[in-house]
Amino acid sequence: MIEIRDLVVRYGEATAVAGVSFTVAQGEHVTLLGPSGCGKTTTLRAIAGLEEPSGGSIAIDGNPVYSAADRRNVPAERRGISMVFQSYAVWPHMSVADNVAYGLRVRKLPKAEIAEQVDRALGLVQMRAFADRSAALLSGGQQQRVALARAIAFSPTVLLFDEPLSNLDAKLRAEMRVELRELQRRLGVTSLYVTHDQEEALAISDRVIVMNVGSIEQIGTPVDIYNRPKTRFVADFVGSANLIAGKVASGAGTGPVSFDATGGLSFKAWAAHAPHGNETHVAIRTAYIDLAKTANGAATGAATDAANGAANATQGTIRSRLFHGDFIQYIVDWPAGQLTIRRPPTELFEEGAAVTLSFAPEHCVLLEG
Amino acid sequence: MTPLVGALAWSILAAPRTGFLNQLWHVTGATGDLVNIYSPFGIAWVMALFEGTVAFVMISAAMKSMDPALEESARVLGAGKWRVMLTVTLPLVLPGVLGATVFVFAEMLGSFAAAFVLGLPARFVVITTAIWEAVQSFPPDYPRAAALGFALSAVMFATLALYRALVRRGNFATITGKAFRPRQMAMGRMAWVLFAACFAYVVAAVFLPLAALLLTSFQRFATVILSESQFTFANYETALGFGAVRQALTNSLMLGVGVATVGVAVMVVLVWIIYRSKAPGHGLIEYVVMFPQAVPRMVFGLAMLWAWLNIPIPIYGTLWLMALAYFTVMLPLGVRTLAGVVLQIDKSLEECARVCGASWGYQLRTISIPLLRPGIVAAWLLVFIASVRELGVSIFLVGPNAKVIAPSIISSWLSSSSELSAALALIQTASVFIALIVLFRATRRYSGELG
Repeated sequence: MIEIRDLVVRYGEATAVAGVSFTVAQGEHVTLLGPSGCGKTTTLRAIAGLEEPSGGSIAIDGNPVYSAADRRNVPAERRGISMVFQSYAVWPHMSVADNVAYGLRVRKLPKAEIAEQVDRALGLVQMRAFADRSAALLSGGQQQRVALARAIAFSPTVLLFDEPLSNLDAKLRAEMRVELRELQRRLGVTSLYVTHDQEEALAISDRVIVMNVGSIEQIGTPVDIYNRPKTRFVADFVGSANLIAGKVASGAGTGPVSFDATGGLSFKAWAAHAPHGNETHVAIRTAYIDLAKTANGAATGAATDAANGAANATQGTIRSRLFHGDFIQYIVDWPAGQLTIRRPPTELFEEGAAVTLSFAPEHCVLLEG
Repeated sequence: MTPLVGALAWSILAAPRTGFLNQLWHVTGATGDLVNIYSPFGIAWVMALFEGTVAFVMISAAMKSMDPALEESARVLGAGKWRVMLTVTLPLVLPGVLGATVFVFAEMLGSFAAAFVLGLPARFVVITTAIWEAVQSFPPDYPRAAALGFALSAVMFATLALYRALVRRGNFATITGKAFRPRQMAMGRMAWVLFAACFAYVVAAVFLPLAALLLTSFQRFATVILSESQFTFANYETALGFGAVRQALTNSLMLGVGVATVGVAVMVVLVWIIYRSKAPGHGLIEYVVMFPQAVPRMVFGLAMLWAWLNIPIPIYGTLWLMALAYFTVMLPLGVRTLAGVVLQIDKSLEECARVCGASWGYQLRTISIPLLRPGIVAAWLLVFIASVRELGVSIFLVGPNAKVIAPSIISSWLSSSSELSAALALIQTASVFIALIVLFRATRRYSGELG
């Protein structure tokens, strides 16, 4: 378990982390997600003991390892955690087995047990065959596995990941993502993972913490973050969304509200919080807008759903089409400007075609700020 | 080969009347001298041959760091080979070439050996030899030497400042950090001309001098007319048997090993503090460590002499003072060598050890030092070689009980024995050569372990 309270990290004048608080429960896999320079890696390094914070407190498994109030700062080697580095940090002057055994040797375990644990760890990452190989001769993916084996060999209770997959090519990254998730579940180890790749964060985490300029924007499950972004930053950074400017017309509590878009269009949106009246935007995911051909001013297909009153429906024109393979991205002109819409490759519309747009109110999320 | 050895060899080759080249010239029946090395041109020739190598290193670094795509895009846009060279390649390497020129200029200002060996016979005095003469005169004119030294330092300082400014300003986008393979150019018939030029350089800088030294060192009187020569081992017997000279050789080797061993250990710690710690003032330490670079060796030796004459710790005239001076002078060399390796070692390699639970000492022993080993070996040998060759500082600090090899060569030269000097120069060169072989063996075995 990791507990962070009001963590502040400053480098001279610059503040890298500006008062961050969160908890990672026993066996939970939490991801810190954000653009580069948002303070996510600094937070991770502060937890590892590689960066000295300027304020707040950090506790690991109930033991305070850093506390500004008590002037306590336990050095990295006595925090009992483990970490996988972005550059893998596999020592080139040792064999694979020596790399993995390092943490066990430091802990002065008996030789037989070291051998057993090394074998177990290498087995978990399918690198047993490479045990006696020099670490300098491994490929990127293999080094990644060795780094992982080394991190789990001494059975730590907390595991930190600093963008471990960012140096792998796309295909290998997707494979390792699955393996990493399975390994984490199997070991039940508390893990905190740092990445700037939103897809990766959504795919492997129990919960995601979205950070921006040193502060937390939102904490939630991947589905929550995707479907209910709280801020413009989250809506924009995680997944792809259309931000529509305007103001709340009516509605006081959580649930459906009426929203007036700049440009004169009015539609139903969803508030996850009680509106305070100063909201300026709603967000609609590009995948949540249905398109249907408009024939002679009357909608067909999906527009029939719109007709039954559950969804918002309006007219638009396809401005451009980009075929991506797994999806098609349309830019559509509609009364409130332009929308980006992604549809499966089965739904093919010609550029310039008149279309009916429809989207459910609960997918049109009122942003807090 | 050091500039001192090169100057000796070239004076044997091309001194007026007695130089080998001139002897051969006379045999053909010609009168007068073919070449006279005891002239400003001679000095410049020898300096360029033996001290100009640093320029080669600097310019080739500038060339290698240039992305060939910069030239290729000019070719694609229709520029011919020469046009590309004039409009793209040259402007891009110009800062590097200019920087190298200024740097070499500063180095040459403070250099001593060639001007001493080749300039004194013709009474051609440069500032370093003037300092030497001021100290050697009776009574020693220290104030004059100090004034000259200070003036020299000031000029050198200004020049090095100019160099730094040039290098900083001249960094166009040549260094991108992206990996690329330097492209080689097909030269056609020009290749033979260039090859001949390189060959001529090797002959002038290595073959001729070595042959001249070898021949001379085995002769009673230096001559290239083999029928007149009297071969002997006497010079080597004197060099290795004669008390004072042998003592100088032993002292030099001892100093080399001592300064390299203790010095590199200290340098590792310094480099560590400068580049890896967040200790206050680590930037300042870097400046202090690099400072000796900007002071001419001779001036530094003079300053050491003057300082320790007045400090009541009795190490003046001993090897200890010499060791201290060597250490200070070698600091920039050693620190730069080690820094190159330290900066290449990813910080997370060390951090990972700490996170794995290793204490600072354990991490240093199992991770940092093994990774640094090639750098440590290289720094040790560089400092060792530089110590054995050292002349500028040593020349003022030698005493009756503290002789080293390079000043001994100078004094044997002054007592007009070019034969003994040749033998000594070869012994010095040979010991450095042996050290280099050991270096290559050691590093190859190390990389063999890795492979």
